[in-house]
This record gives sequence, C-alpha cells and structure tokens, in this order.
Amino acid sequence: MSAESSLSRRHFLRLSIIAGGGLLVACGGSSSKPSNNLSPSEPEDNGPIVEQQFGDFLKIGSDNSLTVFVGATEIGQGILTGIAMAVAEELDADWSKVKAVHSPVAIEFNNPYFGSAMQSTVASASMRGYYKPQRQIGARIRQLMINTAAARWQVDAARLQTEAGYVIDPVTNRSISYGELSADAQESDIPATAELKSPEQYKIIGTSQQRLDAASKVDGSLIYGIDVDIPDMLTAVIARPPRFSGQPLIVDSNAALAVPGVLEVHQLAIGVAVVAEDFWSAEKGRKALEVTWNELLASRTDSELQRSQYELQLNLPGVPIRVDGAVVPAQLLAAETVQADYYFPFQAHAAMEPLNVVIDYDGSRAEIWTGTQSPTLDKLFASLILGLPPTQINFHIMPCGGGFGRRGNWLGDFVRDACQVAAAVRKPVKVMWSREDDMKGGFYRPAAAVRMSASLNTQGEISAWTHRSVTQDMTAFLYGEKLFDEVVELNGGTLPALDKVTDFDSNFVYDVSNVLMDFHLVANLQMPALWMRSVNKYTDIFAQETFLDVIASRSGEDPYQFRRNRLSEAPRHLAVLNAAATAANWGQARSGATMGIALMGHWNSFIAQVVEMSISADKEITIHKITSAIDCGTAVNPDLVIAQVESAIVFALSSIFYGEITLDDGVVQQSNYDDYRVLRMFESPEMETILINSTEDPGGVGEIGVPCVGPALANAIYAATGATIRELPLRNLGYSMAEQHPEAGGQS
Amino acid sequence: MYTLQVNGISHTVDVPGDKPLLWVLRENLKLTGSKYGCGQALCGACTVHLDGHPVRACVTPISAVGEQAVRTIEDIAYDAVGAKVQETWQNLNVPQCGYCQSGQIMAATALLTDNPTPTDRDIDEAMSGNICRCGTYPRIRRAIHKLANGGV
Repeated sequence: MSAESSLSRRHFLRLSIIAGGGLLVACGGSSSKPSNNLSPSEPEDNGPIVEQQFGDFLKIGSDNSLTVFVGATEIGQGILTGIAMAVAEELDADWSKVKAVHSPVAIEFNNPYFGSAMQSTVASASMRGYYKPQRQIGARIRQLMINTAAARWQVDAARLQTEAGYVIDPVTNRSISYGELSADAQESDIPATAELKSPEQYKIIGTSQQRLDAASKVDGSLIYGIDVDIPDMLTAVIARPPRFSGQPLIVDSNAALAVPGVLEVHQLAIGVAVVAEDFWSAEKGRKALEVTWNELLASRTDSELQRSQYELQLNLPGVPIRVDGAVVPAQLLAAETVQADYYFPFQAHAAMEPLNVVIDYDGSRAEIWTGTQSPTLDKLFASLILGLPPTQINFHIMPCGGGFGRRGNWLGDFVRDACQVAAAVRKPVKVMWSREDDMKGGFYRPAAAVRMSASLNTQGEISAWTHRSVTQDMTAFLYGEKLFDEVVELNGGTLPALDKVTDFDSNFVYDVSNVLMDFHLVANLQMPALWMRSVNKYTDIFAQETFLDVIASRSGEDPYQFRRNRLSEAPRHLAVLNAAATAANWGQARSGATMGIALMGHWNSFIAQVVEMSISADKEITIHKITSAIDCGTAVNPDLVIAQVESAIVFALSSIFYGEITLDDGVVQQSNYDDYRVLRMFESPEMETILINSTEDPGGVGEIGVPCVGPALANAIYAATGATIRELPLRNLGYSMAEQHPEAGGQS
Repeated sequence: MYTLQVNGISHTVDVPGDKPLLWVLRENLKLTGSKYGCGQALCGACTVHLDGHPVRACVTPISAVGEQAVRTIEDIAYDAVGAKVQETWQNLNVPQCGYCQSGQIMAATALLTDNPTPTDRDIDEAMSGNICRCGTYPRIRRAIHKLANGGV
C-alpha cells in the first residue's frame, strides 16, 4: 500500500504528476458577493498563495490552508467532509482552512476496503476503508512539520507540539505555521510512520462540523457533472429501444435532422444518438426520429410472470449462505413450523440528477467528466471502448446529484453508452439522460421473493430458523457479462467463486441454534439490475423482522422483550435496541397509536428503529414519530451521521409506500416522478435519532437507516390491526400516507 | 430573438420560442445553479422567481417570460430573505447531495417573503412541490421554522 510506505521527494514528484498536483500557485482574491459564505474563509488579497503537495493526498498552502484529495465520491453522504476531518485531526490542521476535493482516478486513491483494487463508493465502505490510512497520512505529515521546525529552530523534535496548523515550542514559546514550513518541508522525506492519536485526544473527529460543501450547495455554484461546460461542446440524447437489449434496425433520421439545432444522428448498438447544439434541440430531434427496432433478442421480463416464477423457486433449495447447526432434524422434531412468503418489486433509484457524461474525445486522447461512484471501472471500460490506454484518459469525478448505488455500476453502463456516442461524434459532447431515460433505463433494485420459516419446540422456543431468497443478483450478473471478465483479466485477476463474494447474510443474531439461509442468485442478462441503497437488506430484513413479530405474538410476548431476551451474543445490537425503546417510550404509545420495532447490524454498524403510528379505518397512516438508535462506532461527524439516518428514513418510506417499477412484456411502465412517486414534504414525519457513543472503528452509515423502517412500520400496523404485510409497496395493499404535520401552526 | 431580465441584467438570446427558460438559463446564459430534474414541473429543482413568484423554469417557454424579472439562485444572496435562508441552510447542514437545494431555497425564500411566520401546513403547501431524494425535509422544515422564529 503506497500510503504506508515512505515517500521520497522523487517519489512524491512522480506521484504529483499523476495527481495533477506538484507546486501549485493560486492567486488570492476576495469574492465580491455579499457575505453569507460560512465556508473556510477566502484568503486575503496579499499576494499569491503557494501550495505544496505532500504525497498523494494533501496540499498545504502558504496561507496555512489544507486541501485534502479524497478517493471516495461525494454523493451527498458528506464523505469529502468526513475524510478531511480524519486527515485534519491527525495533522492538527486549522479546520477553518480545510478544503476537500475529489482525487484523480489513480491506484493511490483506491479504497483499501476493496483490497485497494478500485475506487468505488458503494457498500457504505468509504469511511470504513479510508479512515485509518488517511489518519496515518495526516499523522506522518504532522511529524514532517515537527521535524522541519525542529531543524529550523535547532531543537529536539520531541519537545515540539502542534495545534491548529502551527508547530509550537513550549520552551521558547515560539510558533510557526505549517504554511510557512511547507516549502522547507519539501526538502525532507515524509516519515514512514507516525503515532496515531488516541480517541480522547481528538479535537475534530467526533465533533459536529458544517459540511465543507455547504456553501457551494446553497448558492448554485457547485458544478455537478450535468453543469460541465467545455468549449464547442455539443449535446446528445440517445433514443433507446422500448425493451432492454433491443437494437435499432431501420433508422429514418430525415425529420430529426430537419429540426433546427440538430447536427448529427448516429446509429449505435445501444440505440440512436441525436447530436445537437443544445439539449432542447436534441430532445426535439429525438421525438422526430423514426426507428424500427430489432427486438428478437429483447427482454420480455414481465413483472407478474416473474413473480410467479420466483414464488415457484422458493420451493427449491438455493445456494447456502449460512448454515448453523442442523435445521432439518430440528424441523422434524418441532411441535410446529410456521412459514411466510414475501414479495418485493423492482425499484428505481431516481436520483435527482439524471445520468450524464461529458466526453472530449479526438481519437488519440479523451477527457471525461461524470458523477460516478465507480470511476476506476468506468475509466477501464472507457479505455476498452475508445481504444485508448488509461494513461490517455483524464477522468474527472464530479459531485453527484444523488447516487444510491445507481452511479456505482461496476459494469459502467452510462459511461459505456456515452463512450459509444463519443466514438461516433469525435467532438466534445455532453451525453444526457432525460428523467424518462433515467427512469426507464434499468439497473433497478431487483425484485425479490423471500420465504421465512420458524420451527417451535414443545416449549414454544424457536428451534430452527430458515430464510430463503430469490433475487436477481448483481454479482451473478457480473459473472455473466463477458466484458467484466475482460476487465478482471486486464487487471491480472480471476473471478472468485460466486458465493464467496456475495454479502447476502442478513446477520440474524438472535439466540437460535439451527439457522439456514440460502439464496437463488438469478442472473438475467436481459434485465439489468443493480444494488440500491441497503441492497438486499431492504427485503431480507423486512421479512426477518416482521416474521419475528408474528412468532413473538404466538406466545403473547412483547416484540421488544422478545428480541431483548434473545440477544445474549450480540451486545451492540442489544444496546441500540434498548436505547431506541427507551427513547421512544416503548409501551407508552399515545392514545390510539401503536409502536413497532426492528433491529439489525451490518456494515460494522447497528441500528434499532421504532415507528409510532396511527391507522384509520380506510388504512390511512399517520406516523407520529420514528425513533432511531444507531451505533456506528466512532461517529466522525455526528451531525452528518444523524443526517444520514434522517435521509435513509425518507428514502425507505418512499420505497415502502410507493417504490415499484413494473414491466409489461418487457416494457417499463413508469417514466417520471408522477408515476414513480417519492416522498414529499407533507409526508415526511417527525424523527429523533440517538447516537450511541463508541470508540470502535467507524462503521458505515449511508445505508443502515433504510432496512428497519419498513418492518418497524409493518410491525406497528400488525400491532394495531393484526394484518401481516407480506409484500411492498404498501400502496398496492390499499395503505396511504396522511399529511404528517396536520396541526396548523406549531413548531416541528 | 428574446430579451429577458435575469438577475437585474438584460440579455438577448436567439432561441426558439418553445425553449424552456431553464435551458436558456443553463445553456445560453451559463447560469447552471437552476437544475434539471424532471422536465415536467414535478420535482421543483428548476424553481426560479418570476417577478418574485416561484415558477418551474423547465415548463416555462422563453416566449412566455416577456418583461417579467427572472431571479435565480445565483442572485438570491442579494435578497435579504434569501441570504438568511442560505445561511440557515448551511448552519443546519441541510444540503446533502445538494442538487435540489437551489429549488428548495428559491421556494423557501418565496414562502418566507410572502409569509414570515409559516405554520407546518403552510410549509407543506409551499414546499411539497420540491422533491428531495436525499430526504432533507426534516431539516428544511426546521430551517424554515428557525427563520420564522428569528424574524426574517
């Protein structure tokens, strides 16, 4: 790992070329805008600021500013801020002068969580992967600053201290800023190791800080991929087949080319690209296009048919993911076995920023700008399609207007499509997806069927627990995709066995000796599916946690106590369960209301959520409050952890009430936010989030707030009405959402 | 040729009359703070002010703008209410991905200008046309209440 090795000055210079860094000179200057800018202050206009780069990951300016290069993608989760905090903590930087930017796409920035094989912002893995190595970077540069000051002052380095961007000599009371030391510091090697702080020494980690990108996200100045504008740039849209894997057969482009502003039409394998001076002309050109599609090999996936197939498959044993004890003998000896089947449809991520890629390709080199969670593989696919070595591709990771997994496609679908257009156009081009393109474009959360069973012995205790899922698996899809094989081979690797790379265990932790989890990992190459925020936990935790309440009710046990009494091996689960129940005043729901609870641990984090709600006779639901207790180990920026839980709750409620993509004989039926509803302000309930303090390593927080909301709500409905919810979205079962803040007036 | 007033500056653009204001702002005037989200006035990411009223620029043809003053997120800091909204949004860490926030801020500024002490129901009515897929609604509500209590 390059981050761990000693970086000589020569090494540093070589790497800074990759990083596009080195000695950088920026001019100071103050903005003429009215001052509402609360971000790190702009430098005073007192001459040029000289920035020195140290290693791959940071630059220090002569104004004592710190710029941190972050390998993970900012998709709203706040990772630019979080990783900068980790670096600044160990460096003892002045937090008010810290900036964070996306790194280049280069191996130095690969996420250690994925074996340092790639930059990929998925699996709630960014803080988990980068936390320690980035702190080490900060600590080593801090030691470099101390060594440099010690040499300048001719004193023993051991007596020097650091604080907020300064090296301090407590004996002589002298101090000097990192900025002033940075030029001299370039002359020395970066120390190979440095001691990390212990948690009680933290001044930045564990404090709630404003996001570094907050200012640029409230004044419209942040440049997303869709905002990239380069000289002579054209805009293209792609007419796609009505069914996945269809291809254009006959294209009549006369009417399209007659639209003012439309310049070119290209027939491609994936569809027909209409290239114009601007988006509006391109859209009009596309509407005027006449295409006959070859659909001989096109997808005929049909939602209803698929559901019946999946439900049949539930009867067959799948690939075992977890086998504890001996389930079959326990089932044979059981007094009773209870079973329930569940079904969940396809869902679209529906991020606010539709997909888009800007490519400047002239046949010998390319520059690419796109908001992506998977830049390493995107760049590799671009090099394969454009026929360029990766060194001839300058790839810019742009901030994303939402990701939720859609921008983290290891198959690089949108970059591949855009590269096909660019290869035909050979001029700077922005390839745009309309909302409808994005919604109909596939790579959905896959549909899933789940079967739960519990066997009860004569004492009524659970003696065996089984959990079987049928779902289209991204991993299985990757295995079927020839291009992915090529990419893996290009990297000198081979694909590991399928069941070794799945992460489908729901982490069932209750005290049951005999547990069997198995999966049917369906690969449907014609029906593109992908991970979506919390992946299979959304469906599998829903089934697990609602089924648990059904079992608890058979013995008349309280759902909270039922869980609490079966967590002897899971202290962190137990702690969040107790914390959520206490904060929600479990057992004391307001008049006419009921509560439901659900619990899970994954991504090295743990959460319990309680939903308190009322339901009317016509199934209209008012959620009074959602209480969450989360243990994510060290919460680097507690306010942003809470923000992620809030975000996840709203995201989950959209899925639970509305989230459904349907296919009729291969044709996607939804197109925009009118027929694919997501939660709106009036449906957003009260929420309270409790953070359990911990000094464990940070766990993931981007996804863990999603899966328990559904079962907690379903359990509250079960408590109120006795109705068991075995499929989602709730809208299909006649449930609706009331206005969540009906009282006129009042503080929320 | 259309002449329009944007953020106090007069611009003349040579575009077809059906081109939406959003794309004139983004492509012709390079004001990219207003966002494209749905193209059908369903999500509110493109919200701008026409003579102080929030409108969806993605369905407003340039030919319909006429003499009305267009104000976008790039200029809202010059509005006393708008500047307060931006400041409060930052202080409460409202934005996540941030993509919808230009529209949210334009809608909230119009609401608070019109009604400095909105109730929850007023907030629901004024803000429910603006989708936030990151789910920042609780913080948007809190920010608006804070602004109301602070007396914009």
